[in-house]
Amino acid sequence: MKKKFPLTPILFLLPSVFFLAVFIYIPLVQNFYNSFFDFNVFSNSKEFVGLAQIQKLFQDDVVMVSIMNNFKYAIISVIFQIFFALILASILEDKLFRKVAPTLRVIYFIPVMISISVIALLFSFIYNPQMGLLNSFLELVGLDTLTRPWLGNSTSAIYSVIAMSQWQSIGLITMLFIVAIQKIPNELYEAADIDGAGRIRKFFSVTLPQVKETMFVNLLITVTGSILVFNEPFILTNGGPGNSSMTLAVHMYQTGFSRDNMGYASTIATLTFLLSAIFALIQIKVSKTGKED
Amino acid sequence: MKKRIGCLIAVLLLTGILAACGSNSSNEAESSGDEVVIDFFHRWPNEPRKSFYDQKIKEFEEANPNVKINVDSVLNDSYKEKVRVLVSNDDLPDIFSSWSDTFAENLVSSGRIKPLTDLIESDPDWSGKIIESQYEGFTFDDTTYGIPFTIDGKAFFYNKEIFEEVGLDVPETYDEFIEVLDELQAAGYETPLVEGLTDAWAISHYMGTIFHRVVEPEILAQDYNPETAAFTDESYIKGLEIFQELTTYMGEVSTAIDHEAARNMFSAGEVPVLYMQFAEILMVEDAGDVDFGFFNFPEVTDGNGSADSLTGAPEGWMLSENAPKEAEEFLKFLTSEETAAEFTEVDGQLNAIEGGVTEENANPTSYEAYQIVLDSSETAPWFDNAVDITTADIFMRGGQDLAIGQTTPEQIIEEVQSQVAN
Repeated sequence: MKKKFPLTPILFLLPSVFFLAVFIYIPLVQNFYNSFFDFNVFSNSKEFVGLAQIQKLFQDDVVMVSIMNNFKYAIISVIFQIFFALILASILEDKLFRKVAPTLRVIYFIPVMISISVIALLFSFIYNPQMGLLNSFLELVGLDTLTRPWLGNSTSAIYSVIAMSQWQSIGLITMLFIVAIQKIPNELYEAADIDGAGRIRKFFSVTLPQVKETMFVNLLITVTGSILVFNEPFILTNGGPGNSSMTLAVHMYQTGFSRDNMGYASTIATLTFLLSAIFALIQIKVSKTGKED
Repeated sequence: MKKRIGCLIAVLLLTGILAACGSNSSNEAESSGDEVVIDFFHRWPNEPRKSFYDQKIKEFEEANPNVKINVDSVLNDSYKEKVRVLVSNDDLPDIFSSWSDTFAENLVSSGRIKPLTDLIESDPDWSGKIIESQYEGFTFDDTTYGIPFTIDGKAFFYNKEIFEEVGLDVPETYDEFIEVLDELQAAGYETPLVEGLTDAWAISHYMGTIFHRVVEPEILAQDYNPETAAFTDESYIKGLEIFQELTTYMGEVSTAIDHEAARNMFSAGEVPVLYMQFAEILMVEDAGDVDFGFFNFPEVTDGNGSADSLTGAPEGWMLSENAPKEAEEFLKFLTSEETAAEFTEVDGQLNAIEGGVTEENANPTSYEAYQIVLDSSETAPWFDNAVDITTADIFMRGGQDLAIGQTTPEQIIEEVQSQVAN
């Protein structure tokens, strides 16, 4: 048989390409195009302003605050969601915990399944300055000096929001690590046992190298997720007080819909896209993923 | 053979997608047969007003069996955002609530709002019942785009018992007001004047009133007009300083709670003074058992503005350009004298319909407030509806920053000036 032009696989690919184009690539290009215009949701025409919006981006203090907050989000998320989740996963997969592991896995995973709006409302009660659980708890254990209006204080607001995210997301990353650990051939551990390796040694010499690929994927999810974060700060603080817990996505949303400046909002969106793309590229380069298997 | 089946499946998948995309356009044919569907959007998912409107919808549907009303509602700040999104495309609901002044003007500028001047002129029996002065905020270039319904005013509500206990009188001037707050603090009320500063609009209400007290009316009118806005007058800094001084009485808590929480604190008797709308009278009464009175924001003796203007603007209804005839009928029904009278009884907020608020159906406190609104020599619009929203946003976020000591009045004004200069 001669090699024919393979039509079938292309036909099968078309639906997904179609969806990607309509919902991702076309809006992306359109957004880039929009960032050169000045318009709002009411206006029927767009005014071309060239690079004025980009110039504005560099003079906007809020953008700087937002980027800093996004970086804080990324750094703390990497520490908690990559390192803690990996440790948590390897503990759950340890022989000692065989019996209770399934139950614990479910418990850690439950927050992932709850809608973020519900969680944010829940945490706004926890952080409530008058009757919140957190302040009541601190008073109970005699740490009165630490109590504060968590979401109403410009220094603690962003960290309170980040803390909630960690609580919610650690379950998902743990689950991904558990799957990766389960895929490690048992022979490796047996060989390590014969060589007399202890638990910690096995973690560093067997588990860690074997889950490298998953770790990279998780790192990518966490870092890009941190740069795009919107729901948590939007519901908990709406970027406030002042602009102290603003993130790029919230700033973009408010610029577009509250402050009626769609053109500038598109520019902020472009910046967000570039940032997350750059981070993803760096990570792909550094980890040289996909070349091992 | 296998390949052919594969091809077939792929083609089927594709046509499915394309068909799904195409079918959206058929949604527009809303009136199937005789039935007319009206989309109704308001901003009160909370009680008692939600039930009131649900009830009114039912009554209207019963009286007009061919009409079906789809209702949707979201709260205040979210409503502002959602309406902006809806007005930018053709999905604008047939009838929806709107604030007056700039908010209404922005909506009108989209060209998707129905002019109502003809409707008003064609049915004087109905439109004549609406207090004439309240149309102003919905009229642009001599065309009226909205029917005012609720009217409102903002005043300091104070707890009479606490004032008696501490031996205080209602302050006449701003300096006296500060003395009152100091004395309340001395009497053990650590935060005598609370406010939910996470609600940006609550800050804008304060600032609007303060600016009316301290800024010369001509300058204010000039700055409220987006074409001529400059905000170069020194009195704005004084105004912001007044706001900053007031936030020192609100406590640390204020930047972490919303207005509703603040109101509940007032209703529970924990807080002696709170800046509230007359619309909230019934809510305060329902939530607690405090004996309260109110006074307007006191005169600022060395201010250049109006000494006794009342802040408060009407809210009303608008129709979309393509609204069916039945939506007009529904609008008349919503703003009829009967609906208004019932509304006063159920909700307690005052309205602009003559005969809608009477001594019989309003509670005494609300009726007192009604007289204040009718008698006020001059009304000031809500600040966030009076100026361009970007400018208002700088003031509102700046207000939060002032309360936590992150900025100064001068910095805010500087930012506003560079914003309006652009």
